[in-house]
Amino acid sequence: MNRVLRALSAVYDFFAGDAILLAGTVIAFAGAFFLSRVATNALAAIAFVVLIVAALITTLLREAGGRSK
Amino acid sequence: MIIIERPPRVKPQAKLRLASAPIAGVRSPRNLGLLVGIMIAHFGAVFVAAFLASAVEFVEAFTIVLVIGVTINWRSSLAGTALAVVALAVIVGILGTALIRYVPLETLRLVVGLLLVLFGLKWLKKAIMRYAGLKSLHDEEAIYEERLAELRARGAAPGKRLDPFGVVTSFKSVLLEGLEVAFIVITFGIQAGNYAGMSGIAVATLGAALAFLVIVGAGTLVRAPLQRVPENTLKFVVGIMLASFGTFWGGEGAGLLWWGEDLFLLALVAFYLAVSGLLILLLRAASRRAEAGSDRPTRRAIE
Repeated sequence: MNRVLRALSAVYDFFAGDAILLAGTVIAFAGAFFLSRVATNALAAIAFVVLIVAALITTLLREAGGRSK
Repeated sequence: MIIIERPPRVKPQAKLRLASAPIAGVRSPRNLGLLVGIMIAHFGAVFVAAFLASAVEFVEAFTIVLVIGVTINWRSSLAGTALAVVALAVIVGILGTALIRYVPLETLRLVVGLLLVLFGLKWLKKAIMRYAGLKSLHDEEAIYEERLAELRARGAAPGKRLDPFGVVTSFKSVLLEGLEVAFIVITFGIQAGNYAGMSGIAVATLGAALAFLVIVGAGTLVRAPLQRVPENTLKFVVGIMLASFGTFWGGEGAGLLWWGEDLFLLALVAFYLAVSGLLILLLRAASRRAEAGSDRPTRRAIE
């Protein structure tokens, strides 16, 4: 692995270290940004919080699944 | 969760200006108590979050500092620690000031919120897995013994002179563990803004500095890895705080308006606590079922 890739990998590990958490959080923020402009505030807020929690649940279920195998 | 329809939009910049305004009538000594109360209400969470997050990280860094102190010498170990603390202070000072000065507040809220949620979920995930028995607890004693053996195998021996290897190892461990602390200090400090002449970054830095003094002080007294610090509980509490604050500030940055404004933070904390508690119970049960299943002999093994 060259230096640039190693640096990128270190930054990724520092801030996230988990692809599901990273993708889920980015989707939650992008969704909230979009929905707050086109939908009601309540809907956008609920979708935002639900997406964040969904990311946490998904990554934990994956870890639990991997260990039980 | 209680979320109401969109109230009239208030720009975050306007909120920050209000927060930075001097408080009328609190200059007299009579109202000192009131000022302290307001400061605690405004900066309390920032101080506590910075203190707890720093305590967890400094416990981990202290184990390495101790190994260097015992195997090489305390002079090298403490020199590396001091250099790392200076580097962290420079990072917080430069980065914190630059971000406040050059990045618009709404963008900052969005980015900082996103990063805080990521950090919070990362810490929360680890803590939940440890509570559920899916991951072993952080054992400072085992880490200490392992590092001690590594250094002795390298031929490190006690001496009185400043040892470059000892300084660099100590510097690296404190800097790496401290970077997360620096990040939390900057993000929390920026979001708290300035209030009654106090800077949010200064308050968060005080929290981190107090944690440093407490951990280093306790470690110096016992001269052993700090095993009794409830690291996982601290990680869990900080994870809940980071996720809640990140959701709140990030949501505002994305254009959401929370019911009850700052009070909604309490609802978010309660919500994340309830979800995490439920996840721990569910995962613990699943982990026990999996263990029981693996203990039972399979039909093929019996045959």
